[in-house]
Amino acid sequence: MTSMGDIRALIARLLADQPRGRLRLTVSILLAVFASGCSVALMGVSAWLLSRAAEHPPVLYLLVAAVGVRFFGIGRGVGRYFERLTGHDLALRMQSGLREATYASLSRTTLLGRHYGDLLVRITADVEGIVDLVVRVILPFCSAAVVFLGTSAILAIFSPLDAFVLFAISIFAGIVVPWLAARWSRQADERAIPARGELGDKIREIALDAPDMVAYGLADQELTALASIDAKLRDSERDGAWTRGVAEAAQMLSTGLAVICALIIGAAAVSNGLMPGRDLAVLVLVPLALHEVYADFTKSAQTLTRSRTALARVVEVLQAEPVGSGDRVADPDSPIMGLHLSDVSVGWPDGPELLAGIDLDLEPGQSVALVGHSGLGKTTLAATIMGLIPARSGLVQAPGRVGYLEQSSHIFATSLAENVRIGNKDATDEQVVEAMTLAGLHLDPLREVGEQGATLSGGEAQRVALARVLAEPRYPSLVILDEPTEHLDRETAQALLDDLFTTLGQAGLLVITHDADLMARCDRVIDLSQWAVGTELR
Amino acid sequence: MAPPLDPRLLKRATATRAFLVAVALTGIANAGCIIAQAWLIAYAVSGVFASHSTVFEGPLPSLSAYIGLLALVFTIRAGLSWLSSWLAHRASASVKSQLRTDLMAARLANPRDTSTTSSTLIYLATQGLDNLDGYFAKYLPQLVMAAFIPVLVLVVILGQDIQAALIVAITLPLIPLFMALIGVATRDQVNRRLKYQTKLANHFTDLVTGLPTLQVFGRARAQLTGLKLVEQGSRIETMKTLRLAFVSGGVLELLATLSVALVAVSVGFRVVAGDLDLTTALFVLVLAPEAYLPVRLVGVHFHDSADGAAAANSVFRVIDAVAAPPAVPMAPPPPKTSEIVFDNVSVHYPGADQASLSHLSFAVHPGEVVALVGRSGSGKSTALNALLGFVRPTSGAIRVGGIDLADIDLDAWRRQIAWVGQNPGMLRGTIGSNIAIGYPKATQSQLRSALDRAGGQDLALDRPLADDGEGLSAGERRRVALARALLRIEFGHAGLFVLDEPTAGLDQASEARVVAAVSASGVGAIVVSHRDALLKLADEMVPVGSQPAAAASSEPEGGRR
Repeated sequence: MTSMGDIRALIARLLADQPRGRLRLTVSILLAVFASGCSVALMGVSAWLLSRAAEHPPVLYLLVAAVGVRFFGIGRGVGRYFERLTGHDLALRMQSGLREATYASLSRTTLLGRHYGDLLVRITADVEGIVDLVVRVILPFCSAAVVFLGTSAILAIFSPLDAFVLFAISIFAGIVVPWLAARWSRQADERAIPARGELGDKIREIALDAPDMVAYGLADQELTALASIDAKLRDSERDGAWTRGVAEAAQMLSTGLAVICALIIGAAAVSNGLMPGRDLAVLVLVPLALHEVYADFTKSAQTLTRSRTALARVVEVLQAEPVGSGDRVADPDSPIMGLHLSDVSVGWPDGPELLAGIDLDLEPGQSVALVGHSGLGKTTLAATIMGLIPARSGLVQAPGRVGYLEQSSHIFATSLAENVRIGNKDATDEQVVEAMTLAGLHLDPLREVGEQGATLSGGEAQRVALARVLAEPRYPSLVILDEPTEHLDRETAQALLDDLFTTLGQAGLLVITHDADLMARCDRVIDLSQWAVGTELR
Repeated sequence: MAPPLDPRLLKRATATRAFLVAVALTGIANAGCIIAQAWLIAYAVSGVFASHSTVFEGPLPSLSAYIGLLALVFTIRAGLSWLSSWLAHRASASVKSQLRTDLMAARLANPRDTSTTSSTLIYLATQGLDNLDGYFAKYLPQLVMAAFIPVLVLVVILGQDIQAALIVAITLPLIPLFMALIGVATRDQVNRRLKYQTKLANHFTDLVTGLPTLQVFGRARAQLTGLKLVEQGSRIETMKTLRLAFVSGGVLELLATLSVALVAVSVGFRVVAGDLDLTTALFVLVLAPEAYLPVRLVGVHFHDSADGAAAANSVFRVIDAVAAPPAVPMAPPPPKTSEIVFDNVSVHYPGADQASLSHLSFAVHPGEVVALVGRSGSGKSTALNALLGFVRPTSGAIRVGGIDLADIDLDAWRRQIAWVGQNPGMLRGTIGSNIAIGYPKATQSQLRSALDRAGGQDLALDRPLADDGEGLSAGERRRVALARALLRIEFGHAGLFVLDEPTAGLDQASEARVVAAVSASGVGAIVVSHRDALLKLADEMVPVGSQPAAAASSEPEGGRR
């Protein structure tokens, strides 16, 4: 479980990693203090100016105050502008630092076949929580706290009692109320989580299975189910909204209380002759300007709840112990050409043993199909052969270079050529074209493929992955095909397999598959369940 | 900038209209409270100032009367603020529910609409629409308040002091004017900033989701250097554009506070000259910021609204894309006895380079098995989609027993069809419950028999299926879907098989059973397949896509989901 302390430590580390990080933070906070302070000072000095003017002194006596009023009038806008700039600069720097740290941490752990898909996508969004935390929580919170203190300290010159009362009310309205509201609305929001999850699942199901639902007449039934989940969610969200409304009302009442206290305390001081009459307006009008600062706190508290959850997930990733080797370490000079497994058992270093006693020999030019139900440990075996994770026991002899073609290889949002160069970063343009041609990809290497290879068909994407394997100067003598046609339509799959078996014919092929057609192409079919450890998973 | 108030939100979401009226009413009440509050404060302070006592001349006899009324006013304002946030939540919640349901109904009405991907749809229906909370809770109320409060406050100030009113009247309209001018001047920069930030975020997401692939090639750690360079470069660019983008917010704040300062100095100098009394001066000073506050908050909350408005916009695009059903749908003729005719049917998905299906004509006589053959991307699956009414032909027509499919009640038509798609959908539940979709009243033994005949003798009926049938291979999914279709023919009295590669990935023995089951049913079938065993069943082979086939990528269902 990640605590607030971990997040504080993370922020301290990110700050320390920035050149002059603490100084940047201090400057940003001071600018924010200046900006909020200006609007409070504008009200206070204006009130004093009017009251003083009502005493009809020579105009000269008012000039300083008049200049002050104009200065604060300008200061707020200017201060806010520079505060936002320095604050965002710092926040973006910290975001970069966090992205790099997250990436470094993730890249140290072997991710292949770990069903991390959702986590990987989520974490990239979670990292952005740091910007919110800096710009919308830390800066407003620190600056507002300073403004409270400063305002109370200055008002103490006029009336210590009123200053104390104002300070107490500020603590209540600015800190206690937002804190309670955030706490209660978080409890309400947490109660809404199951309903929210259910709603997300239902929407996902409808979005993915719409054709089947429509074809089998389930549309109305599904919409009714959706509406009833939606109603449940509305009920649980209602409490949160109620709390937030009450918090706003409490802040308004607090402002009123501060104004009224100032009137009572100030008027008594004036009529007792303890305070000049002109100071009363200052005491009464300043709390009005503070009201906006209270509202900032509520916003900060709500943002804190959100970014805290996001950053807690990031911290979890950063703190996780690496599993496996992360990057595959290939020894290009290894003399081993075939694959020899004797009495090998495999499993994730942090998980149970999945397969044990595996004996397998595969020479270049041979092909073997590995079959067995999902979850048996097929991809785990592949990761072990590639040296991404250590074998639990037994002897693994594999070539230095092992080609690997997965179900849906990631296609990066760059050019085709750069995607192919993932396989060999030093590949020349000619080598890239050659690899693409061999992989049956007759496209412009400079073509940009778009996000997740959006402009490629499933078959083309798999051919890009094949070109990566072929881009190495010396073809690998062992290639693992991990359900290479699972997401392809029939004809595309057949065409790809024809090309695969032709271009990779010289290598040993280890084929993980469910597909009867693909099994038929292999020299041997081996059922992995003979080596499964323990009882059947399903 | 998006329009401040999307008329489609008003039109579609009935809750919005009542909400706007309520917000306007609370806005007016709030303005009244603000004026009363300023009046009470001004008289109370100047009363004490003039008499140096808590009992003084003025409209009210003593300070305690002012305090009592002030307490009342603040209580009312607190109540109003609670009320408006409550109303906002109610409106937001009901608009969200309505749009969510409409969105998913639109998806079901247009099940093959690939212009909005499933993941976008999921995002829109959940987080996307949640952004409407900001729109309803903050932006819209402020917008309404900005329409009432400044005007009311200005009128009151005008009644007190013409000079101060002039300052407010001149500077107030400057705010939206400057905002608009700066908005136009910096729009390119702001868009560029968004592009940089999106690009940066996408680059990072791309790298992280591609990590497993990078690790296999031993390239993951090496990318860190590149990431650092990209991060640094993009941050510098982003900051450059931010310097301009923040100008509009800065000017907003500057105008609002500077105007208050001008008012204060102006009334101050007239008080000292004796042209204005303190009460009026204080009254104007307390009111002046209130005239600017709603306008300023509109600017502040604009971003809260932008995400929500953008989500609503995308939702409307999906909803509006649904074609209207026939006004008076006709009952479909039973396919067991009716001829099905494809008459020069073409389908061109909006936005696609080429037609997905062009000029297909053939006829299926009752009880006949017709196989569609052709290269990948020639439009075979699209033809089946058109037959099921998932897509409408762009030109040409499909006729059932002489009636155009466009005039037929599609739900009733689909009840007559047993369909198996290329990548069948699996609902949450068990394998058994997924088969029972074909005939909900089926007994366990009927389910078992259907699954066995579909080649799924190894699959357990009670095997739970989680999200989207995870853990089932594509071949296993097809077997479950085929069992579903068999039930629908045998017990649901459907009269036509529509099968898209039903035996792909099956071994020969399983395939033989499937072929036997289909032919034993005795009903007609339209089949897409490459397997000889299935093609042998066909009474007729229809070539699809005679001209050079389109690239596989132009056929949406051939790509990735």
